[in-house]
Amino acid sequence: MPTESRDTALHKENWREVPLQKTTRRAPDSGKGGSGKGDLRPVPFRGGGFTYTPRGLISPLVFIALIGLWELGSQTGFISPIALPAPSAAFGAFVDLVRTGTLWRHLEASLFRLIVGWTLGTAIGVAVGLAIALFSVMRAGLSPVVSALFPIPKIALLPLFIVWFGIGEGSKVATILFGAFFPTVIATYGGVDNVDRNLIRMGQSFGLSWLSIVRKIIIPGAMPAILSGFRISASIAIVLLVAAEMIGAQFGIGAYILMAGSLFAIEQLIAGVAMLSILGLTISWLIGRAERYFLTWRT
Amino acid sequence: MIRLTRRGFGGVVAGGLATATFARSRAFAQGTRVRVGLLSLTSHAPSIIAAAKGYFAEQGLDVEFVSFQAAQPMAVAIASNDVDFGVTAISGGLISLAERGAVKVIGGALQESTDVEGQKILVSKAAYDSGVTTPTDLEGKRFGITTAGSSFHYMAHKIADGEGFARDTMELVPLNGVPAVIASLRSGQIDAWSIVPNIAGGLVASGDVVEIGEISDYIEDYQVTAVFTSSRMAAEEPDTVRSFLAGFARGVDDYNAALVDQTMSEEEVVEISRMIHEYVYTDRPFEDADSAIRAGAMRVNADARMNLTSIEDQLAWFVSEGLVPADASIETLVDTSLVETY
Repeated sequence: MPTESRDTALHKENWREVPLQKTTRRAPDSGKGGSGKGDLRPVPFRGGGFTYTPRGLISPLVFIALIGLWELGSQTGFISPIALPAPSAAFGAFVDLVRTGTLWRHLEASLFRLIVGWTLGTAIGVAVGLAIALFSVMRAGLSPVVSALFPIPKIALLPLFIVWFGIGEGSKVATILFGAFFPTVIATYGGVDNVDRNLIRMGQSFGLSWLSIVRKIIIPGAMPAILSGFRISASIAIVLLVAAEMIGAQFGIGAYILMAGSLFAIEQLIAGVAMLSILGLTISWLIGRAERYFLTWRT
Repeated sequence: MIRLTRRGFGGVVAGGLATATFARSRAFAQGTRVRVGLLSLTSHAPSIIAAAKGYFAEQGLDVEFVSFQAAQPMAVAIASNDVDFGVTAISGGLISLAERGAVKVIGGALQESTDVEGQKILVSKAAYDSGVTTPTDLEGKRFGITTAGSSFHYMAHKIADGEGFARDTMELVPLNGVPAVIASLRSGQIDAWSIVPNIAGGLVASGDVVEIGEISDYIEDYQVTAVFTSSRMAAEEPDTVRSFLAGFARGVDDYNAALVDQTMSEEEVVEISRMIHEYVYTDRPFEDADSAIRAGAMRVNADARMNLTSIEDQLAWFVSEGLVPADASIETLVDTSLVETY
């Protein structure tokens, strides 16, 4: 793609001084301009703003500072132990989990539900999203259905899910599947709708086949939106994990949190919630890697 | 259990979490203002009757009812001093809050007694047909509970103890709410459950569920629910607590006389039923609600007497199952100075 290569070229010259000659040569009216040969001067590259530079240390520092403040508040009695347990107490509950070995049973159960539910949900979601985006009949038929079903809280349907899918793994995976499916559909067809029309027209002018345009232009173009949809659907899947494990789950991080809540064992509650947070961070990191891999063309 | 009756029938309550809606009672002349947590259940009727008949006002209390959807948020609201008094089952959450010095049990409420119909042991039709016809057959079966540390959990284990099989041979399925347990039992996904008679009656009548025994055979004089308040209230305002219990006790007498012993005239019973209907089964017409209120009323202890033996047994069970800290003691849980105990 020509636009792409030009962008990278400019980017490489980031902040390097570009001789005026080079730029004036490109300008369409360079021939007419009689702006004296003597005052050739370097022009700094003005692009490249609004990009972020990685600052590795800041995020761990923020976490450490927040947790340190919290611990301090608990130790001094500023935070009542009924309102919020100290991080050290929550960590103690976590150590108990590791020591008794139940941590692995909880993690195993939850990860299985998350992975199966989210993978199926997003796979079907991307497929349906692409179908809606590419075929007018599908769009007319399915997009209102998606809009109608998306806002239904899956928790409200739990009693029905029991009857439909049983109280085994079925209803849990289904809850997460439905939770991941809808945001993915919307992200996917929204992403396709936002693919640069010029690129598609260019593909058409060059006589690319329909499939080729979809494969080489539309899907890569929609990928940023699809991946940020993944971020959202993965978080929703984690949120729904707790709801999914309301029904008939003896193991699982969500079941552990619910049990801690009903026993008012708030140290365990916080330990469980922290596990969900760490799970969320891990998934976000993995999606970050995926973005780097799939979006190299964007630089 | 009892506290969940309304949810069981309401059916639509999602998750049963902490949405507290505020319902003001009729304002009486100014007295000490106390806020009483209420679940829309017939077991909360004594407070409703005491407020409606002015028994609290006679004690110099200006009672305001605060409605909750489930017992756990109510217990937490009492711990945070947003509500002053409540009635609920003795659960792991309640004991844990008491151990943290936030709440205190001050009196007894609903109790199993031999002269009144009590909680039933139910099995699904499928389980019954496959040979689960007595509680002995529950070994190795799936028993529905709402959450770990709920009264259902306790009852299941007491059945196991009584029948002499190991507690962990029964698979306890946490379903987080009465509607979900009912759905699972009716569709045969769990085998057994135990519940108060008015819900049990409806389920048995549907034909999907069969009754195979009574909880009172396994737990003697089971103190199902208790009156509790915040530790601050119990320590700093004992007079208010006494006044509340005095008003509550008169409500209990009327409730037992009208609905359990049926010694009142029909007009008086209807009057009391109407009072209860202002808060319970409000989504049904009175004629319909009236029979539901009368059916399966269980005795509430007169003078809020407390069966300490039963509460001790429950506490010992919670500790033995590791559901509450091992150092949980009856002294931190219960204040025995306010009502008669036995």
